[in-house]
Amino acid sequence: MNPSMTAAGRAAARAGRSGDRRKLAAMGLCALVILICFVPAFPWIRAVNTEALYGTMGLKASVAKKLSPDHSVLTFLSFVETSKQGILGFWSFLLLIVSAAAIILILAAGVTYAIRNRIAEGKGMLRACSFFQKGMIFSLAAAAGTAGLTIFANSHYGMTGFAAGWPVYAAGAAGACGYLVSKRIEKQEMILCREHGFIEEFRRNWVLFLFLVPCFVFFLINNYLPMTGIYFAFTQFNFRDHLFASPFVGFKNFEFLVRSEILHLTQNTILYNIVFIVIGNILQIFFAILISHVANKRMRKISQTMIFMPYFVSYVILRVLVFNMFEYEVGLVNNFITSMGMERIDFYNTPEYWPWLITAFFLWKNIGYGMVVYLATITGISTEYYEAAQIDGANIYQQIRYITVPLLKPTFIILLLYALGGIMKGQFELFYQLVGNNGTLFNATDIFDTYVYRITTTQPLSMGMGTAAGLFQSLFGFLVIMITNLCIKRRNPEYALF
Amino acid sequence: MKIRDRSAVPFHVIKAILLAILSVLCVLPFIMIISGSLTDNYTILKEGFSLFPRNITAEAYRTIFRSPDGILQAYKMNFYYTFMGTALGLLVITLTAYVISRKDFKYRNKVSFLIYFTTIFGGGMIPWYMMYTNVLGLRGTTLAIWFPALMSSFLVILMRTFITGSVPDAVVESAKIDGAGHWIIFWRIVLPVLGPGLATVGLFQALGYWNDWYRSSMFSTSSETWSLQFYLYDMVNSTLAMRQMAQNVSLNTADLPTQTVKLAMAVVATGPVLLFYPFVQRYFVSGITIGAVKG
Repeated sequence: MNPSMTAAGRAAARAGRSGDRRKLAAMGLCALVILICFVPAFPWIRAVNTEALYGTMGLKASVAKKLSPDHSVLTFLSFVETSKQGILGFWSFLLLIVSAAAIILILAAGVTYAIRNRIAEGKGMLRACSFFQKGMIFSLAAAAGTAGLTIFANSHYGMTGFAAGWPVYAAGAAGACGYLVSKRIEKQEMILCREHGFIEEFRRNWVLFLFLVPCFVFFLINNYLPMTGIYFAFTQFNFRDHLFASPFVGFKNFEFLVRSEILHLTQNTILYNIVFIVIGNILQIFFAILISHVANKRMRKISQTMIFMPYFVSYVILRVLVFNMFEYEVGLVNNFITSMGMERIDFYNTPEYWPWLITAFFLWKNIGYGMVVYLATITGISTEYYEAAQIDGANIYQQIRYITVPLLKPTFIILLLYALGGIMKGQFELFYQLVGNNGTLFNATDIFDTYVYRITTTQPLSMGMGTAAGLFQSLFGFLVIMITNLCIKRRNPEYALF
Repeated sequence: MKIRDRSAVPFHVIKAILLAILSVLCVLPFIMIISGSLTDNYTILKEGFSLFPRNITAEAYRTIFRSPDGILQAYKMNFYYTFMGTALGLLVITLTAYVISRKDFKYRNKVSFLIYFTTIFGGGMIPWYMMYTNVLGLRGTTLAIWFPALMSSFLVILMRTFITGSVPDAVVESAKIDGAGHWIIFWRIVLPVLGPGLATVGLFQALGYWNDWYRSSMFSTSSETWSLQFYLYDMVNSTLAMRQMAQNVSLNTADLPTQTVKLAMAVVATGPVLLFYPFVQRYFVSGITIGAVKG
């Protein structure tokens, strides 16, 4: 990165700067102040005029007695939950996340600072600064948000019911100071490391930023803004208060899910996906190798086209197809069975058959696609390897075993990682179209996506539950892919997905 | 493989057999649907479906096209969605992929990860639905049906792999030295050599739009905006569409060749895709190489 200056040279340059020590101490102090502010015992939000306030909220005396007037930004949700003031819930939920992020970022900055000398290219200090700055921004946001919350609540209840406590001002001030000081340290570090900041990057590559605008807008609307809707998972939806004002119920939805559905949903989803991934990849690799050995170009193209064809069929048509094959009265399979002189099989009322059928049709639809991906890799393998192996007397099985298969490994790992990223999602359209609303089959075929779709389309009041199931699914899948990627990164960074 | 050794003979025999079986298995259901759609409805009710058409008749197709308003509207909407989604989607995907393929862009890995992150974590279906209906108020509009699938992280990364594979860094560097900005590099250097990439990603995109029924089921308020697949889905469940069709051709619902009409609809709905496929397949099958998220 920076051949002109060694790490030792940078260390010497750093040692020559005398003001750094004071700046670092100031940053440490700011971080400390903010962390102290977040101790739950300190009052960010205080309820003043408690009697009048609780009266406006319409709380019973027994509930009001349980409420303490002082709340940290981290514990304010419990106030919302006890007092059933859903209208404040979403705002305090966001504040909680922002505060948690601030704490994590400040701690990350501390850890990075402690191990700064072990980070590559002497950029430890820069990284620590970047964490620190983000932590400061989040602290500022938490302080501003708390102030905003009190203003909003007061105008909503039409009285001075809430006031911001001293930690709000302390955290805000410390956040601003810390940010300014760390900016100056960062500036010096950037000169040392020959790095440039956002503004310089924007000046150089503003066209690229312009190119990114549609992408940014799209993912913001389609993915990132909806993430705030995770909040619904903690509410009990009702039509009177609507989405963001429905009562906050904490983890009640999750408790219900854990008691009733979550185990078999997780089990079904993961098992189906593992079967899809394992059998799918084996067959795809197997047929890719076979097809790569077809010498006649036309034959090769024809069979490739035929095998790829099912990928183009929509799931609605798959539904028609499967129905025609497995229907009780007129289905093709039952026709065949009766013509052989055996009893008809009632597929649509027998759950045992469906794991097999769903797997079979998944494979039918997806073999061609994966096969083409693997085939592209095989075509890219240099023929010299095979020629050399033939001269050494390797037969065709040995060539496949010792040349083709090992060289498919990177493609396999990439495909595997992408598949693992979606291990909790899996094929909503396939399951929904094949099974539909056929209740007798749910036990064997219900996965998270179909469950969420069904309970929200049939019972609007269980919106909170549906979101909770979705959130569990999302978090679980996220952990799976993060851990797998980390393991692969440890063993061989080249294969890692990110 | 010019040099043939004896031990390979069983391999080649088994290979031919297995590939033949798989190819046939992949195509059989299509034949079943087509022959079913050409069979007489009464024969199906009496004897069930079979692989080959018996008592051949085009009754089902005639029934569909006797009152073609519904299906033509669905066809029209499907072409509209597919065109909008593919054209705009291809443009924004390529722009994004170009940015994250540039080695001199400082935030390329951060942006790639933010794009990939959307596939491994999200708010789930309900918040997503609420975003389009309650927040943006797009329920019942056509925008809600084509916009949500405009980009996908998978296609962006696929396109990025295509760009890094077909445009050598040295070319971009020398263009830069000659004074070309990113705008010119993108339109004059990258796009012209990106044919296979555009064909592949465009086909995926078009296929996704053509086969979509989910967004129509979520966001439609009337059958005016239904996509073709959802029209078919509704018909398969023999609700509205079937009844309307029976009314339009002044038949009793019972006299309608329900079974064969479904199959004929399936043929009509898939036709364009299968007709289109051979033209792009030479790009498509020659290389889908998938790379990592980081670049």
